[in-house]
Amino acid sequence: MKKVMIAAAISFYSLSCFADISQTPQVNPVTGAATWAINEHGVNFSLTQILPQQAQAFYVNRGFTLKQIESYASSCVYMAVLRNDNAPGTIHFIRKNWSVLVDGKSLHLLSVDDWLQRLTETNIKKSALIAFRWAQFPSEQKYEPGGDWNQGMLSVGLPAGSVFNLIARWDIDGKPYETKLQEVYCAK
Amino acid sequence: MPNKQSIQTLIIVIATMLYTNGISHAEGLPPLTHKLTKINKSIMAPALRLKNMDGEIVDIKDLQGKVVVVNFWATWCPPCRREMGSLERLRLATKDENVVILAVNIGEDIDTVFPFMGTVDPSPSFTVLFDPDADSMKRWNVNGLPTTYIIKPDGTVAYSAVGGREFDHPDIQQKTINLGR
Repeated sequence: MKKVMIAAAISFYSLSCFADISQTPQVNPVTGAATWAINEHGVNFSLTQILPQQAQAFYVNRGFTLKQIESYASSCVYMAVLRNDNAPGTIHFIRKNWSVLVDGKSLHLLSVDDWLQRLTETNIKKSALIAFRWAQFPSEQKYEPGGDWNQGMLSVGLPAGSVFNLIARWDIDGKPYETKLQEVYCAK
Repeated sequence: MPNKQSIQTLIIVIATMLYTNGISHAEGLPPLTHKLTKINKSIMAPALRLKNMDGEIVDIKDLQGKVVVVNFWATWCPPCRREMGSLERLRLATKDENVVILAVNIGEDIDTVFPFMGTVDPSPSFTVLFDPDADSMKRWNVNGLPTTYIIKPDGTVAYSAVGGREFDHPDIQQKTINLGR
């Protein structure tokens, strides 16, 4: 009986802490942009692709040349939104703990610092780098319940045409949670 | 026959239009709230000494005795743009109170910020400060834009808000006014 209860408790914990819910992307009829979203435990998380030309346009307007931003813009960039609507406590995440599953392989996302290091080598002006740094989805953040949130750019570092699962991890008042956005497509 | 450069320019113009549409769509999601997080520990506001639009130095130390709303933002940040009008409405609602609003722009210059201000309704009349090197972000523990703090007259931090807010909501107005009374 004790074993059954332990098994049931483990199952419940697994179900409550790992979301593996079927997801259908919502497509914006105006822009054609697809959004993959999940809402659970009072937390809303979504990815919307920013097409390479859109990312280029954004950064060229901030002072980059097309050549300087090309590698980033073509690395499958998404607008990530994470929001603590009414989770039972403070959300805390460290982005380096997130990963991408593609073709059965688990890959870590390039960090903001990794990208900054690459871009700095191409002699970009400081104001453009500051805009790049702060337009990215945060590397680490805390969100209090009631609507703390951020939106920012997130590169998954894959070639266009890739289909992947994004595994995002955070804790809510210290309790670990993991969620998966499934079959996210990176359009060309 | 258009050359390569004009084709690239055309692509950028079209992409900018698409991106702006994308932002507009994103602006419908998610909705802004009016929740402020109360800071229970007694934490003094970090240093903040920057130039305003007229090139004059504004030092938060000189604002002790007032409620100070410190908002970190940039013109390219969609939720920052979205909340900017409500920040001005908060200023209008508190103009007879002991409240000062400082909007700290990150990494941009007056040539970028000034034209943007003309697009905000109502047009902002609060103080805009310039942090061209984003040096204040670490001191103020800002990890993403926009982030806002509300400082009590004694210089300690009363509330924080990460992400866009409806600053003209009666709850925020009342909380802000109450800090100064």
